[in-house]
Amino acid sequence: MLASSPLFQRLKSKIVDEPDLTFAVLLAAMVYLYFAVTNELFLTHNTTFAIMERFAVLGLVALALTLCIIAGEIDLSIGSNAALSAVIIVRLTDSLGAFSALAVGVFISTLIGVIQGYFIAYLRVRAIVLTVGTLMLLRGVALFAAEEKTVMLTDFRVTDFIQTKMLVYFSPASLLVVAMFVLVGIFMRFTKYGREIYAIGGARKEALAAGINLKRPMIIVFAISGFCAGLGGAIIGLRSGTAQALGLQFLLLTGTVAAFIGGVSILGGKGGVVGAAIGTLTVNFLNTGLVFNVTPAFKVQLYLGVLLLIVIMFQTGSRLFDAQQRRWAVLQAVDLRKVALLEKKQRILDRQVPT
Amino acid sequence: MEAIMRLGRTFVPPWLERWTEKHSSPLVVFLVALFLAVFLYGIVTTDNFLNLFNLKTIIRDAALVGIMGIGLTFVTLSGNFFLLSMKETAALCIIAFAMGMSNGWGFELSLLATMGVAVGAGVLQGLLIGLGGNPIVVTLGAAGVFIGIASWWSDNLVVSFRRPNDAEWLGTGSFLGLPNITIAFILIAVLAEVVLRYTRFGRQVYLIGANRAAGKATGHENLPMAIKVCTIASVCSGFVAVAFAAQISSAQANYFSSEFGSSGDMTILVIATVMVGGNSIMGGYGSTLRTSLGAVFIAVIDNMMVLRGFNSGPRVLAVGLMIVFSIIVFSLAQKGSRAQE
Repeated sequence: MLASSPLFQRLKSKIVDEPDLTFAVLLAAMVYLYFAVTNELFLTHNTTFAIMERFAVLGLVALALTLCIIAGEIDLSIGSNAALSAVIIVRLTDSLGAFSALAVGVFISTLIGVIQGYFIAYLRVRAIVLTVGTLMLLRGVALFAAEEKTVMLTDFRVTDFIQTKMLVYFSPASLLVVAMFVLVGIFMRFTKYGREIYAIGGARKEALAAGINLKRPMIIVFAISGFCAGLGGAIIGLRSGTAQALGLQFLLLTGTVAAFIGGVSILGGKGGVVGAAIGTLTVNFLNTGLVFNVTPAFKVQLYLGVLLLIVIMFQTGSRLFDAQQRRWAVLQAVDLRKVALLEKKQRILDRQVPT
Repeated sequence: MEAIMRLGRTFVPPWLERWTEKHSSPLVVFLVALFLAVFLYGIVTTDNFLNLFNLKTIIRDAALVGIMGIGLTFVTLSGNFFLLSMKETAALCIIAFAMGMSNGWGFELSLLATMGVAVGAGVLQGLLIGLGGNPIVVTLGAAGVFIGIASWWSDNLVVSFRRPNDAEWLGTGSFLGLPNITIAFILIAVLAEVVLRYTRFGRQVYLIGANRAAGKATGHENLPMAIKVCTIASVCSGFVAVAFAAQISSAQANYFSSEFGSSGDMTILVIATVMVGGNSIMGGYGSTLRTSLGAVFIAVIDNMMVLRGFNSGPRVLAVGLMIVFSIIVFSLAQKGSRAQE
């Protein structure tokens, strides 16, 4: 009865078609269940609100990194970009008002992304090479903008506003981020430009031969990455009321873990926005649960590193296994054809012997 | 632009003109010339810059970063990009060394244990990279693991050992007027250059870096090479950690993360020495001599800015500009060549 219903069939084909996403969902559910069972405080409305608050920042970073990795590149400067935007916004909020400060900071971050994307496509360098340079450069700019101090807000009304509870689990910040996920998801799946990003990641040479101009998808990817970094930095800065030029470097590791749990491949062209959301939720469950169990920050970092290494080993292993399977299948096919040919040869010989 | 070039041509000797025509575009020449002009202006106008004491200070500042950079050069030359875990490996090693020293193991045994830790870290990363993991992502994860273990092991506290101890000669001693760390830097630089140029292993590094497919076809797989080069880089990190701990007789897991030099991040500074020296990031082209010069060059600029009274912001900015500048110059100079792929 259940097995034959069309909904179940669709779910089954979805699971079979996207093993990475299934793995991510299972992992998220397992982590959630573990903490829900071992800690009675975990399964409450307030905790879910706290998880969504973390989702607001980390989700943006994971989204940005997912897009970059889909395009076959990685943006190492994302932490510095976020820190720069946080410093600019916190400094300008008092004089310009929160809204204009936000616009200025996010615009600058997006512009930095556009410039990076342009140079990566124009110089034909790998993104890691350029972004390692801009990591340092933007950190210097942020130090310059903050005058080597920790900058602080004086007016905390904005801080209160972006943390007000709405719809039980959400705040203005997390609602904005969820909307961002939906928009980018639609963009990646249904528009020509989104498909171009998948193309330059999965098969760069073929995509270029087919006439895609490398500059356009590269600029779009890094613009979105810069926008996400800027918005993430803005949310962190406005929520805590302070910003440090040398802070936020942890975002890179956490975001990469989330992206890889979400099923992107380092070779590019794989993964998606849904995966990024699930990966982020997994990391958030883990983070929040560990905080409930009073785990020091460096241990959280240790667990995240181990998690990343395991996911990478899993991916590499499955790639090697796939390659071996394919080679084995080819050999099998060769053998099959050989059998047929040998039979044919035998038949011809048999026919020739009597004469 | 054309007029400037024509004007410039009347002053350049013919060999330089031939060299520039062969190697680069007019834009590159213009950028390099601009940079040299700023550099010379800085040398001439900065007080107390050109004297022997200051030159010694510069080399000493370059030494620690330079040694790590030399280790990383092997990884870069073999086509495995770079390791993002340099400072975390050093953090793990500095805790290991300080633990040994504070437990009274003596210098030799502590050094041996530290090198064991470094080799372990290098082999682990090399294995994962050689099996096909992306170097950046693998070492990003490994960095989290190493710094986590280091903080856990030391409880995030300062581990110090008492001051007449037998490690001090390395950190604070000097020989013929040069600090021992400077001498170690020079020795390691010479040794690495000899290994790369004249040994079979060195030529294999270049081969695999220049063309991995050709390396594989001639029987030089990337797996053993990745393990070897990552171990070299880790051991260099470990040595720097030991030298640094010997200097200040204490250790903490975040010594290399927060307040090191001007930049606040040792790993990026090490990568900067490799890039500013002009090694090809895609592998196969470059040398450890270039990295050493890159380290000295960054130290010169940093020193000059300190003498002129700049804060940390502009100094970090300068290092970042140097990296981006060298990427642009070297990739423009090589545009259209095979190194692009």
